[in-house]
Order: sequence, then C-alpha cells, then structure tokens
Amino acid sequence: MTFYALFVPFVAAIFAPALTRLFKHNAAWILALAPAGLFLHFLGFVEGVAAGERFTGGVRWLPSFNVNFSWFVDGLSLTFALLISGIGTLIVLYSGGYLKGHRHQGRFFSFILMFMGAMQGLVLSDSFLMLFVFWELTSITSFLLIGFNHAEERSRRSAIQALVVTGLGGLSLLAGLLMIWNITGLSELSLLLASGDLLRDSPFYLAAFVLVLGGCFTKSAQFPLHFWLPNAMEAPTPVSAYLHSATMVKAGVYLLMRLNPAMGDTVPWETVLPVFGGATLIAGTLLAVRQTDLKLMLAYTTMASLGLLVMLTGFGTEKAIEGAILYLVAHSMFKGCLFMVAGNVDHGTGTRDITRLGGLMTAMPLTFGAAILAALSMGGLPPFFGFLAKEEMYYGLASLDPWSLTFLAVAMVGNGLMFAVGFAVAIKPFFGPKVETPEHPHEGPVLLWAGPVVLAVAGLFSALFSSEFHRLISNPMAGAVAGHDADITISVVPHLGTALYLSLATVALGIAFYLGFDRLRSGMAGLLTAIGWGPDRGFDQVIDGIVRLSTVVTRWVQNGRMEYYVTATFILLVLAIFIPMGLADEWPELPEFPTLFFYEWAVILIAALGLLAVVWAKDRLTAIVSLGIQGFAVAVLFMLMGAPDLSFTQFMVETLSVVILALAMTRLRLSPQDPRSWAQFFLDGAIALASGAGFTLLLLAVLATEFNAELTEFFNTYSVQIAHGRNIVNVILVDFRGIDTFGEIAVVMVSGLAILALIRVLPKRRAANAAAPTKEVAEPIQEAG
Amino acid sequence: MALDASYDVDISQAMVVELPPLADWLVVAPLVVGFVFGALCLMTRKDTGRQPFVAITGLLAMLAADIGLFWHVYTNGTVVMTMGRWLPPFGITFAADMLGALLALVTGILGFAGGVYALQDISRTGRRYGFYPFLLLMLSGVTAAFLTGDIFNLYVWFEVLLIASFGLLVLGSEREQLDGATKYAFLNLIATTLFLLAVAYIYGVFGTLNMADISRKAASVRDSGPLFTITAMLLFAFAMKAAAFPLNFWLPASYHTPRIVVSGLFAGLLTKVGVYALLRIFLTLFGAERDILAGTIAVIAALTMVLGAMGALAQNDIRRLLGYLVISGIGSMLAGLALGSATGLSGAVLYAVHSMIVMTALYFLVGIMVERMKVFTLREAGGLYSSAPWLAALALMLFLSVSGLPPFSGLWPKALLVKASLDVGAWWLAFAILLSGLLTTIAVARVFAFSFWRERDTAQKGAGEVQPAPAATSGAMAGSLTALLLLTVAVGVYPEPVVRVTDRIAAELKAPSRYVEAVFPPGSEPLTTEQTEP
Amino acid sequence: METAMAILTGLFFAVSIYLMLSRHIIRILLGVAILSNAVNLTIFTNGRITREVPPIIPEGKAFPVEAVANPLPQALVLTAIVIAFAFFAFLLVLVFRSYQELGTDDTDEMREAEPPNEPAPPLGY
Repeated sequence: MTFYALFVPFVAAIFAPALTRLFKHNAAWILALAPAGLFLHFLGFVEGVAAGERFTGGVRWLPSFNVNFSWFVDGLSLTFALLISGIGTLIVLYSGGYLKGHRHQGRFFSFILMFMGAMQGLVLSDSFLMLFVFWELTSITSFLLIGFNHAEERSRRSAIQALVVTGLGGLSLLAGLLMIWNITGLSELSLLLASGDLLRDSPFYLAAFVLVLGGCFTKSAQFPLHFWLPNAMEAPTPVSAYLHSATMVKAGVYLLMRLNPAMGDTVPWETVLPVFGGATLIAGTLLAVRQTDLKLMLAYTTMASLGLLVMLTGFGTEKAIEGAILYLVAHSMFKGCLFMVAGNVDHGTGTRDITRLGGLMTAMPLTFGAAILAALSMGGLPPFFGFLAKEEMYYGLASLDPWSLTFLAVAMVGNGLMFAVGFAVAIKPFFGPKVETPEHPHEGPVLLWAGPVVLAVAGLFSALFSSEFHRLISNPMAGAVAGHDADITISVVPHLGTALYLSLATVALGIAFYLGFDRLRSGMAGLLTAIGWGPDRGFDQVIDGIVRLSTVVTRWVQNGRMEYYVTATFILLVLAIFIPMGLADEWPELPEFPTLFFYEWAVILIAALGLLAVVWAKDRLTAIVSLGIQGFAVAVLFMLMGAPDLSFTQFMVETLSVVILALAMTRLRLSPQDPRSWAQFFLDGAIALASGAGFTLLLLAVLATEFNAELTEFFNTYSVQIAHGRNIVNVILVDFRGIDTFGEIAVVMVSGLAILALIRVLPKRRAANAAAPTKEVAEPIQEAG
Repeated sequence: MALDASYDVDISQAMVVELPPLADWLVVAPLVVGFVFGALCLMTRKDTGRQPFVAITGLLAMLAADIGLFWHVYTNGTVVMTMGRWLPPFGITFAADMLGALLALVTGILGFAGGVYALQDISRTGRRYGFYPFLLLMLSGVTAAFLTGDIFNLYVWFEVLLIASFGLLVLGSEREQLDGATKYAFLNLIATTLFLLAVAYIYGVFGTLNMADISRKAASVRDSGPLFTITAMLLFAFAMKAAAFPLNFWLPASYHTPRIVVSGLFAGLLTKVGVYALLRIFLTLFGAERDILAGTIAVIAALTMVLGAMGALAQNDIRRLLGYLVISGIGSMLAGLALGSATGLSGAVLYAVHSMIVMTALYFLVGIMVERMKVFTLREAGGLYSSAPWLAALALMLFLSVSGLPPFSGLWPKALLVKASLDVGAWWLAFAILLSGLLTTIAVARVFAFSFWRERDTAQKGAGEVQPAPAATSGAMAGSLTALLLLTVAVGVYPEPVVRVTDRIAAELKAPSRYVEAVFPPGSEPLTTEQTEP
Repeated sequence: METAMAILTGLFFAVSIYLMLSRHIIRILLGVAILSNAVNLTIFTNGRITREVPPIIPEGKAFPVEAVANPLPQALVLTAIVIAFAFFAFLLVLVFRSYQELGTDDTDEMREAEPPNEPAPPLGY
C-alpha cells in the first residue's frame, strides 16, 4: 500500500494538465484528493509508530548492485510525510485560487504534485540511492517551479542558481552516501542507524561527514550557501510556501536528523553544525530585517529558522533535539501560513511591498486572522505551538559554559529578530491607515484563505492538546532523531524557570526590535551597501568565470588550426613511443650492419632519394614525380623480396596516384612551394625524425624476437591440399582471410560512391546560383579507383 | 579439383568438420544483412521515392538480427565462428561475447532510429548520392568491429566504417562540411594508420592475428617482445578514435557540420567503437599492460571528462556543445577502464550504452529545435517553451539524463563509477566524475534557459523582426527521438536488466581466459604444424 | 636485410610525417601517400624477410619445396594497399573540392567549421 502511495502524486501529476483543461481552477479540488488521501494513509501509521513500531517494505530495484526500492516509516519520516501531504493538500487548493485563470495552471499543478511525490519519497526512503534519486528530483522540480515565469531573466537566473547550488550539494551527498556505503558496507538507512559506532569510528568519518554536510547545507540554505533561497522567491507564492519554507528546504535538516544517531555525537558534528547553524540564524534574521518585500522577509526568516534547526540538531543535548523537532513542526505550520498570507495580500492588493501596505484588516479579515495567529506562534507566545518549541530549545541550550551561553545568546537574538519580522509581516499590512494599492484590496475565494486559516488554527490546537500531540508525534520523532526513546512534557502551561525567563527576555527583545524596525532596516541597508558584495553576486561571478575560463581553455586547446592539431598529435605520438619504451626498457639491441647485394642498396638508395626529393621539391610537379620514384622503388623492393603480387599492385597504384595527382594539380592554381619558417622547419623536422626513429627502433625490437611462423606453415600446408590454390598469397586473400578482402572491396566501393557524392552534390548556395538544370549533371570527373 | 584424391589429408586438423549450429550463423547475420541491403540501396539509389523503404526494411532486419544475436549470446554464452570453417587462429574468427552483442544491439537500435529520422532530415539529393548505402555500410562496419575476433580484420572494419562516415560527412558539400571533413578525414586516417601499424608489430611479435590467440600467448611473449610500447601505441590510436583528451581535435572540428542525423549517429557510434577497442585490447588481450597504464588512463579520463564539459560550456553553437558532451562522456568510460574493477567496468559499459542512446537522441532533439528556431546559436535561440512545450519536456529529460541526474539512465553508470573509484580510494577520479556532471548540468541548463525558457523577441533585439512560423515537426523525427528517450527513461527507472547484462560483461572482461576458451575449446588443440612432408 | 628495411621505413615515416606537418593540404596528401608505403613496408618486414622466392607451390607438389617468402604479410599488405589507395582517392577529391569551394589549400585559411572570429558563448541566463 505504502509502495503505491509513493507513486500517487506522480500519477496525479500526469493527469493534472488534462483535468485542469476540463475543470479550470476547480481541478484543485480533485487533485487535492491525492495528497489528502496520502495524509489519511499516513495517519493510519500514527498509533503504531507511537507504540514504538517501525514499518518497512519495498521491492528489489537493482539487486545486481544491492540497491532496493525500500521505504521505512518511523517517527521522523512519519511526521515529515504528514507535513508534506497535509500542507500539500492545502497548497494544491491554494494554487487553484492563486493561479486561477493562468495559462499554465495545469502545468503548475503537475510540477507541484511531482515535487510532492519527490519530497515524500525522500523522507520515506530507506536505501541510499533511492534517497539520492528523490533528493535530486526535488531539486529538479524546484528548478521547474522557480523558472515558472520563464520569460523573466530573473526567474531563469534563480532557477539555474537553485539547480546549480542544490545540484552541487546533491553530488556531494551522493559521494558522501557512497562513501558511507564503502565504510560500513551498508546501503540502507535503517541498517546504518542500527550499526552503532561503525561509521563514527572509521578513519573516513570526517570525509563522509563533510560530503553529506555539503548536501544538507546547500539544500537547507546554510550560510554562505543560502543565497539561492531568497532568489527562489521568484516562483509563484504557493511554491514559496510549500517548497521553500515548509518542506523541501527542510530536506537537509531531515537528513541531518536522520543521520544523527549514526553520525552525531562527535566533535566535528557538534562543532560544525552549531557554528554554521548559528551563523545562518543571525545572517538570515539580519537580512530579513533589511527587506521590504513580504516574501523576501519571510524567505530570510526561513533561512534563519533552518539555521536554528541545524544549530539545535548539532548542539548535542537531548532537549536541544526536542526543541529542534518541535520548532520544525511549528515552523512548517506558521511559515507556510505566513507565505500564503503574503500571497493573499499580493493577490488582493497587487503589491507585496510592506512600505506600501496598510489598513487591510477590514478588507481581508480572514487572512488577517490567520496572519496574527501564525505570527503569535512564530513569536513563540502561548498558547501556540511555537511557544512550546522555544521553551524546549531554551531548556536545551541553557547551561553555564561559554559555548552554551554563546549559542543561547545567538538563539535569543535570532528569535527576537524573527519575532519582530513575524509581527511586521502580520501587523504592518493590516493595521494603520489605508494605503492606496495597485488593486482594490479584497479577500480572495475560499481556495485562497482556507490554507492559511487551517494552518494557523493547527498551530493553536496542536499546542492546546500538546500531551496527546507529544505522545503521537513529537516523542516518536524525537526518539528517531536521538536514537533512543524521548519523553517530551512541555505544554502551554508556563512553568516558572529559566526557560520562561529566557522566553520573556526574547519577547522583550523582539518588541524592542519591532519598535525600532525602520531604523534597523535602514541600518542594515547601509551596512549591506557598504559591504557591496555578497555570495549572490559571487554566484554570477563564478558562473561567468567558469564560462569565460572554459572559453579560454577550449579555444586554446581547440584553436581551429589543423597544423596545430597534427603537430600536437605527432608530438604526443613521439612521447607515446619513447616514454613506454624507456620505462619498460624495450630498446632494441644494436643490430649488425646489414649485408646486402649492391642492387638492393641501389634500390634502397633510390627510394631514399625519391623521398628526399619530395621534401625538397621546389614545385609541385617535381614533388609528384618524386613521389612516383619512391613508390616504384618500394615496388621493386617487394619484387626483390619474393612478393611479385605486391609488386604489381604497388606499380599500378603508384602509377594511378601519380597520374591522378598530376591531373588534379594542373587544375588548381596553387602556390608551388611549401614555405616554413626556420623555427617551424626545425620543429617539424625534429618531430618527423623522432617519430621515424621511434618506429624504426620498435621494428628492430620486434625483429629481435623469435618469429612464430605457425600461421604461415598452416597456409603453406593446406593451400593446395584443401584450398586448391598454388599461389598462397591469393589463397589467403580469397579463402583463409576472405573476409578481409570482402571488407576491402566494400571500402573501395564506398570510397567511389563518396567521391561521386563529393563531385556531384553541390552546396545549396552554388546550386542556387548555377543554371537550374545543371544541378544533377555537373561535369563528371571519373576518378573512382 | 581432381587432385583431391592424391592428397591424403586429415581435414579435421585444419577445419571445423561438422557444420556449426544454425543459430551460430547469427554472429554474421547483422553484417550480411547490412551489406545486402547496402547493395540494394545502392542499386535503387536513383529511385529516391522507393529507396527509403528498402533501407528501412534493411535496418529493421539488421535490428532483428542484432536482437537474435544478443538473445543467442545471452542464453548460450559466447558464440564463435571461424570464416571458411578454418580452425582458429588460421581463418578469421568472429566471436560475439556479451560485450560485442550488447553494443551491436544498441548499434542496431540507433541505426534504425537514425534511418527513420533521416526520412525527413535527408533530402532527395542526399539519398541519391548514397545516404542509405553509407548508413548501412557504416552500421555493418561498426557491428562487425564489435564482433570480429581478429585484430587485422578489426582494422578492416575500422576502415569500412571510416570511409562510410566520410561519405556521410561530406554529403551536401557545404563549405563548413568540407573544412570539417578535411580535419576529420586526415586526423582519423592517422589514427587508423597507427592502429594498422600496431597490428603489424603485434604480428611481428606474436605471428598471429587472432585476438584469443594473442591473449593466450601474451604471457609468454611479454619478456621478449616490446609489448608495452606496442600497447601504448594502441592506446594512442584508440584514444584518438574515441576522442579522448588530448587527441580529440577532430571531433569538435567536424561533428557539427553534417546533417543532424549524421552527427547523431556519429556521436552514438563512432567514438564508442574506439572505447570498445580499448576495452577489448586492454582487458581481453593485454591485461597486464592495462595494469601498468591504468594510472595514465585515469588521468586521461579525468581530463577528458572535465575539459569536455568545459568545452560544452564554452560553446555558442548548440551542435558544437553536444560534440563536447560526447567527449566528456568518453572520459567516464575511460574511467571505468582505468579502474578495471568489476563495478568500474560494469559502469563503463553501462555508460557506453547510455551515452550511445542519449547522445544520438540529443542530436536528434537539436535537429528538431533548429528546424523550429532556424538558428543554432545560444545567442539567438529562444521561444521553444511557449511554442513547443512537448519538445521542452523531451529536452529536459534528455538534459537531465546526460547530466547523470535521476530518474534517467545517466545516473546509474555514474553512481557505479563513483562507487568503484571510492572503492580503490581514487577520490580524485570520483571528484572528476562528479565535477563533470555538475559542469554538464550547468551547460545544459543554460541551453534550456536560453532556447526554451527565454522568449524569442527579447533575444533578437530587433535584428530579425521576422518571426519564422514554427514549422510542424514531422512524425518520423519526433517518433525516433521519443523512442530513444523512452529507452533512457526505462533504463533510468528500472536499470536492473541492463545492469545484469553489464555485470556479466564486466565478469567476462575480467576473465579473458573465458574468451580464449570460447575460441579455443580446451582439449581440441590442432596439431597442424606437426604435419610431416608427404 | 631486415635491419636495412627497418631503417628505410623510419625514413619513410619521417618524410611522410614531415609532409603532414605542413600547412598546405596538398603536402599533407603527399604525406598520406608516403605514409601508406611506410606502413606497408613495416607490415612486410614484420613478417620477416626472405629473398626472391615467391610463395607459390610448384605444379604437382602439395607443399612449397624450398623456403619461400612469408605469404601472410603479403596478403595483409595487398589489402592495406588497396584500402589506402581508396582513401587516397577520396582525400584527393576532397582536397580538390575544398579548393574549389574555399579557394585555398592553406589549412589556416580554410577555417569554415571553426571560424577564427566565432562569437563567445553568451553570459547571463
């Protein structure tokens, strides 16, 4: 059942365009059935998981490589699955309203459902490669969704940026997972989690850790790889709410939490994660303050929240992990809600610029209500779920050593800033005097306000019924992350204690930030202008740099000059002969001086003279005639060494070559000489002599070996007896190695046809210019050999 | 003929006495079909209306023969047949093991797809001057190269496919074709000539040309002959044929010049023959030399992968960009050869199959893109997402596949190769594989952004205000593209059947004695040279 | 004898490669013609050399009566000669047609497929 559930969103994605064509935006109601059904399906697991059960299953996928298509459901993956399908349902509905009437709404549904399938597969995957496949699928669908407004260059840029950054991370993750596989011999998460210290104790732990982190940090937008996330806001708002806040960006956090039992509890883990997470938290909140676009403010707080989650996950105390999982759930609800609120404001008024909005409370009451509830949760106030999360994380961080105090301070400042931003988003557009907006403000249809309202209310109810929620959701999830049972007791009833004081201090800090919000913003704006450079600009520089560098390198290597190609080839050839010969000491012995008859010397001398004459010929005709001389000399040599057939063929071929060459050359007005500069002459000469010497040395080395004449004796023996031929060469050609001859004939035939094509087929330009009828009957030159 | 009686000769010492089983003839069936239909197409070349049907029938028959051969080898193991019934190593042996049969099968698929695509892409003049005969003979040459068990015969097939490729390359005689063909022809001729030269030296050392015979004699010759230098020369020649860096000059110089269907088939087939030869030479024949050269091959592989992908980033012309992607893929295959482990070899062969299909499909895709846009440079491209969303979907899938992203066929060989690299601690090779994947992703994402997402008018800035009416894409072109695409999707989603085959190939390559034993069954050693004079 | 032949082939290779390193395509073509001779001589020499006795079995005999020249390399060379000639003919026509269309035999001036002023790839997105 769960196996099929994995494919449900993809199937829905296939039908989405057709359904949208039929029912227009109302197709959302039908399509939302898919995630809703999945939500119900996963609800069925809740009791079992709360009772400590784990559900697994799957099929063999690539057994040759020991890869299964296997899923497993425990507290962590179940919570994620519920968030994905639950929020997914709301998002599909919301998209129905948000993109109502859009030309490509069907395509949009399709992409978002595909994403849903990918994300769901990611969190349910057991096998490493399956995890990677779904991981990359989320990047790809995200690419498509960010580039949805494809005519805008900014959208294209953001899409490519997201693809490149998360793609880079994906490759790092792949390497990391394969490395873990190599270290432990395990390729399934469930087995890895049960493997104890196997991975931690490996000398390659650090390498695997860094590689996996590369994947998680890019996906979850950790500083300084965060820049793609705010840019991803180019996508339509449902995408921002769903992918870039509630689900996809949490994939990195998910994987860190997932691997915590196997990789956590080490010095690198508990150093790198909090440091990067903390930096991301502070950077994200500060950058959020700088923004005026509602979506961008939310985007940067998302980044900050991801930082907070990573920080807590790596901090190492039990309460910190519990805080992390509570915050994760809370964040998904309030941030998803706030994004949809921002979308509604945009939709209703035509702008998202916070400085141009105000007094929308009466025009958009439902949206306003949802926004306030979500902001309260985001600010960590009771009785909302965010409050529980904040209390728990302060329990986890509060300790008196400097390390903990540092991160406590980071968390408080970060939370305070997020408090301010959250309320800025929830209050500024709705209170105060009405401001003129591009469109007349109005509340959208039910499709638009249902999502935010449901999420906001969920944030309230999950906190009110916290003990049940902890039993069913939080405890199993925290248990899965910590690697042993967890018992979360935090509830909306405030307990007097450190955590509460810290919460109050945070709220005070937040109010202070809120009141000074405009000053804070201009201060940040000034600071960022002063810095002037950021990783986002850096991305452009890197991509342009890669393209430019590639262009320079490629044009240098592949410079279009044939002379250079040939020269490089032969230089490499010289190296390919002499280096191995030297390394393996395969030099030939110095041979004895050959004893030849004088006529043999004479023929060799003629061949050599012919060759040199070709080189030194001052005009082309001399060169061609000299070519003939060396060719005939070779023919004579064949004759002298018992190869009359060869000799005849050589005579024929050389004669033909010379005649054809001479005929062709007289038709061309070519410069008669072959000018080379002295440097060129010496270089070419050296290469030529070295190659020649190399071939000679190799031949001498070969000749020094004892010849195995087995084949020759066989041919001599059976040429007459079986094949009935007295000329052994001919018998070899037509019988023993007849296939060679067959291929040779094919070569000759094809070459003739190719020559015909070369001569007869005129390029379009010429054919157009030439008088019409001559096209097919251009002058035939009979040259086929 | 009357002499027969006068010689008392024991035929069984020289020939295979009993006829080989009928199914074994499948080993030559693809090339017989190819040659017969090549000749038929040549005869009907002036009948340009009917000739395509002859050709398509021939290509289909060839594909059927390839399927039959593959199935036969898959069920019965290596099929060996020596021409003229002479005992090996005296005649020319054809030996189809899984590697040869698989590559022949993919060749048959690509040939058929190309033949269908060409129905639209090749003009009447092109047909009249031999497109289909060239195609069939090139396919025959490629298939025969995969199947022959004789190294000189391998050279002959190299020449057959090379001359046929010349014919395809120059068809049209455009200016850039002539320039491209000149570079292609001379540089490739140098490569095949060096191969022939190496064959000559091998003959001088071994006295035999049969590959299995060479394989079993290599150990005894290794001490006396200059084997290492000869194998280095073979590496040089085949690396050049395979377009490995730094011997890849000819490929970017020429692959963008002919008709797109020709480029596509070249990209799918020709370089892979070089890769096949490298696998055959360095695993079946000269394993010990491969061990020594492995480091060099690994460096070549890494450079080829990365510089190939960089070359793709450096292009404005989309067709040339694809040429560099071909090169980059060759690097991955060489990486598998360098690793030499079962996983690595399986990955290399899987990559070869993936690359053959996907690169051909990519060229076919670009053919359709160019047909609709009338331009082939990134600077001028645009508007396809709006005008042809279906094409965008196909393109995206192919782009993901060539980048090695899931859920397409490129992922699996890449994962296998990275795993194999990490197995032996060659982290830098793994890094190169992943880096080339990333660079490829950037390159194809740019193509997608520029030619699909970007709208046309913003790209042209008023240079040509005439928006060419988007031509309807013909069914033949779209059909063959889709068919190839489905293959990469199928392999991507359920790779097991193909991986099982490539694993078996890797096992066969790791145990060259099995190839030798298939050609020379143990216990049937002929005693020919012991013949006494009558 | 074999030593002399080995040295002679070296000279053939050197001359042929020197010619192929020219910028003028017609010289390259001459180089290709000589290269084929060089390779053929190498094949021939690799089969070891004997003088003057062609591998023909006399009438009425089942075997060669005396030591004859090695027939196999001769067969290989025959195949190679014909293939090389077919290629030579093709290349010659290719050069001829290139000259007709492009008006030059200087490879540096023939740059149509990889033009020297090719635009760089676009930056941006």
